[in-house]
Amino acid sequence: MGGRRESQERFVKRYQYLLKKVAWSLFTILFVLVLNFLLFRVLPGDPARAGVRDPRLKKDAIEALRVRFGLDKPVFNCFETLNPIKVGSCTVNPLDTQFFIYVRNLLQGDLGISYSTNRPVGEILAERLWNTVLLIGAGQVLAILLGVFFGILAAWKARTAIDYAALLSSLLAWSLPTFWLGIILLFWGSSHGLPIGGKATPGAGSLPLLQQWGDIARHILLPTLTYTIVYMGEYMLIMRSSLLDVLAEDYILTAKAKGLNTFQILKDHALKNAMLPLVTVIAINLGFTVAGALQIEAVFSWPGLGGAIYEAVVRRDFPILQGAFLMIAISVIVANLLAELTYSYLDPRVQSE
Amino acid sequence: MAVQTTEIKPSVPSSPFLDFWRVFSRNRMALVGLFMLIAIIFVALFAHKLAPYDISTSANITLKDIYNPPSAAHWLGTDDAGKDVLSNFFFGARVSLIVGFFAAFISVVIGGVLGIVAGFYGGRVENMLMRFTDVMLVIPDLPLMVVIVALTKPSLLNIIFVIGLLGWTTTSRIVRSQTLAVKSRKFVLRARAIGAGNGHIIRHHILPLVMPLLVVNAILVISLAILDESTLSFLGLGDPTAISWGQMLNFAFGRGAMSAGAWWALVVPGFGIVWVVLSLTLLGHGLEQVLNPRLETHHLTPGRSVIHSESSTVMEAKKTTAPVLLDIREMSIHYQAEGKPPARAVENISFRLHEGELMGLVGESGCGKTTLMLGLLRLLPAAGQIVNGKSYFMKKDMTAMSELEIADVRWKGISIIFQGAMNALNPVRTVGDQIREAIIKHSPPLSRRQLQHVDDRVVELLDLVGITVQHKEHYPHQYSGGMRQRAMIAMALACSPQVVIADEPTTALDVMIQAQILELLDNLRHKLGLSIIFVTHDLGVVAEMCDSVLVMYGGVTAEYGSVDTIYNAACHPYTQELLKAFPDLSHPEKRLASIPGYPPRLESLPAGCRFAPRCPRAISRCASEQPALHMLGEGHFASCHLVEASS
Repeated sequence: MGGRRESQERFVKRYQYLLKKVAWSLFTILFVLVLNFLLFRVLPGDPARAGVRDPRLKKDAIEALRVRFGLDKPVFNCFETLNPIKVGSCTVNPLDTQFFIYVRNLLQGDLGISYSTNRPVGEILAERLWNTVLLIGAGQVLAILLGVFFGILAAWKARTAIDYAALLSSLLAWSLPTFWLGIILLFWGSSHGLPIGGKATPGAGSLPLLQQWGDIARHILLPTLTYTIVYMGEYMLIMRSSLLDVLAEDYILTAKAKGLNTFQILKDHALKNAMLPLVTVIAINLGFTVAGALQIEAVFSWPGLGGAIYEAVVRRDFPILQGAFLMIAISVIVANLLAELTYSYLDPRVQSE
Repeated sequence: MAVQTTEIKPSVPSSPFLDFWRVFSRNRMALVGLFMLIAIIFVALFAHKLAPYDISTSANITLKDIYNPPSAAHWLGTDDAGKDVLSNFFFGARVSLIVGFFAAFISVVIGGVLGIVAGFYGGRVENMLMRFTDVMLVIPDLPLMVVIVALTKPSLLNIIFVIGLLGWTTTSRIVRSQTLAVKSRKFVLRARAIGAGNGHIIRHHILPLVMPLLVVNAILVISLAILDESTLSFLGLGDPTAISWGQMLNFAFGRGAMSAGAWWALVVPGFGIVWVVLSLTLLGHGLEQVLNPRLETHHLTPGRSVIHSESSTVMEAKKTTAPVLLDIREMSIHYQAEGKPPARAVENISFRLHEGELMGLVGESGCGKTTLMLGLLRLLPAAGQIVNGKSYFMKKDMTAMSELEIADVRWKGISIIFQGAMNALNPVRTVGDQIREAIIKHSPPLSRRQLQHVDDRVVELLDLVGITVQHKEHYPHQYSGGMRQRAMIAMALACSPQVVIADEPTTALDVMIQAQILELLDNLRHKLGLSIIFVTHDLGVVAEMCDSVLVMYGGVTAEYGSVDTIYNAACHPYTQELLKAFPDLSHPEKRLASIPGYPPRLESLPAGCRFAPRCPRAISRCASEQPALHMLGEGHFASCHLVEASS
């Protein structure tokens, strides 16, 4: 039957679409891997060279450091070093170059060793990843729920006092530097008995589980609040403008002419269409939300990836910096892919492009 | 001669800039933003004059000066190094603005060039550039900035370049899509046809149209750059020799302002950042509203209330025994816009529609036909208002109904087939689903068994318009243009309405499909005994199907009568001209005439007869005096000074 063949075709098209998206994300990850490698080789981040600046190190100690970090090997075929560029032999075994060792180590989950703590970077970051996910997750859910709610309200009541109030407050929230809002909230909170940072009170580990959770909740309150305020405004703005666009469409007039009431029109005709751009924006924004988390973690000493970056910057701990950047970038790319796949599932028009 | 006097003259001298300024100055948000921005730029420029203390020297500072609260000597207190916070704040404005503007400049230039090149040249170049943009867009830029600045020297120049080189992605996307939109416009194609080079076209045709968008985007990019700089500085990656607001916060936060309770050292620099970013945000948001005013109204804005009136004039083209379904009396609809005179879109229209009657509503675009139809069902956009008249549906006054009552008439009593069914159908719901919705809305609550019957009814309706079952659960974009229009018709019939309004149902369809749709409507009418109002600009369509014809011009009735009268004894010059514009098969040798000129603009209607400026038979009286609607005979009305004598 015709219908059956048609649905088969759509099935194939859908899988081609999925495949294309996944392939593209893999390519982007590869790009990030190369970028990450080059950044730390081209820019003066070479640990041995950083070590050379320390006059107490002896020459053989430097050489030992270089061997330990694999820096005695050529960067890549034909290149001894990249900064300054020093051309070398092109007949080197490609498996014995810094780039290959970097990739191989990554594939094995080996992100190097922290300069400052001498622990494997992968181990340190793995502990911290979940704290960031917890913080972003809680803040993101709250920000989206509240932002969408107020966005719908503002668009529905367009050009009324409600709309203007919502619009102005979200523009204000958007203009707040995340870290500064965090500082102000911390300043206010610490004078009202809230903890001044960290994830748990020292020694709380010996308390009963319920009290431990309560302790964490008290610690995560202000960081989450900061996150929510900053991002809620943005989601509200997007929801508002996207819903306003949809509400001006002809099919909304059709729905009204069909006798549907305002609630039915919003629920059955406007919201799904208006939410579609929001999914894309949430995906694109993931990069920015990570930026927000980085600042919040720095202010509240939250032991997440952002906090790790902050500490690594202060201590010039490049392996941590390199590993954290890689982890964040890959997480954002994967989350982006998921958002795009969600979009294609929600919008029937996407697969037939 | 006399006709010329009604020509519309613009009363105010206008230039693009003046026009822009007029709209801009009415946008309070943009004005406030601009004022705030100018104020802070002023502060940055004259920091050395405004600052009460010299911040470059630490002489005369003792331990006692650290974190002093605001006082007469130091209005905003002192910081961790005992320096005056206010002076630091003034100089900080300089650094923050310099970084913001220069970094944004780099970003906008890169993004603009990439966007225009990608959009203009297309093909493989576009593909590569946009892929690259996509990759850069996904990579989180703040962590990347942190990595790069941490690995290089933290100098102001480095920070400017890093922020600038990473911030161009949104610009390039926006500029590319705008370039794509502009590229295929007529004047660009024309310029190309007369041999203009690419450089010329980009400079003179593309750039001017991309510019407004680029400016709005640039404002956003500046604010992002300032936020980025303050974040980098706060994280300890700022230039230690140039104290920006972010740097001030880094020092205060890292050196015990919190425990010293020195709120001033924390609040003041942050206030500066918020001030600048908010000013840019307000300005950008306001500018966007000015350049892109589509966000003004929507279909859920509550309409203006009806102005009630006593209207008794009854007009009908045909005396029959069939019951009257619609009785419209002296209907007037105006569009009210702030600061403008009302646009009189519909004025004093009366007609009657009987059961089984098909009325043609004829006139050029912009004559108020659609407004009249939307007004009947009280579906006018927010600016529209019924200022006079009554509309009775089955003896009930629709202008006096509550929202709930009119919602019940909609679709069940009177349904509409909208023009352009692509946009009139919801793209994310299947066609069957949208028909089902209408049926369920107008039935009492249904059990599951009854819902099954609704499905059968949907199949039956689709069958009626010649759409097979397998397309029922397809989405509108999977339909062809003609199919969508037929689906729209099926939907309009879903609740077995007494009256169907067909609003130019065949525009935008090719001739063959047009004929099919018309035939379908005519068949359905006889099969189901429908009464139809057929809105069209094509008199030919009307001739074949209609019982009566109402010709509208510039919002008023030009002529109203039975189809025979209109075709054989048209009195109004507009009707006569319209008839000449349509081919007569009995006289194939006659040339087709078109009416020179355009319908009047509704905000500036001529003082006299609205058709006078285009009328071949206008007399001097036409320019000054509005003709009344005269009854010329049984069921024949026309508004023209020329027919006065015969009435």
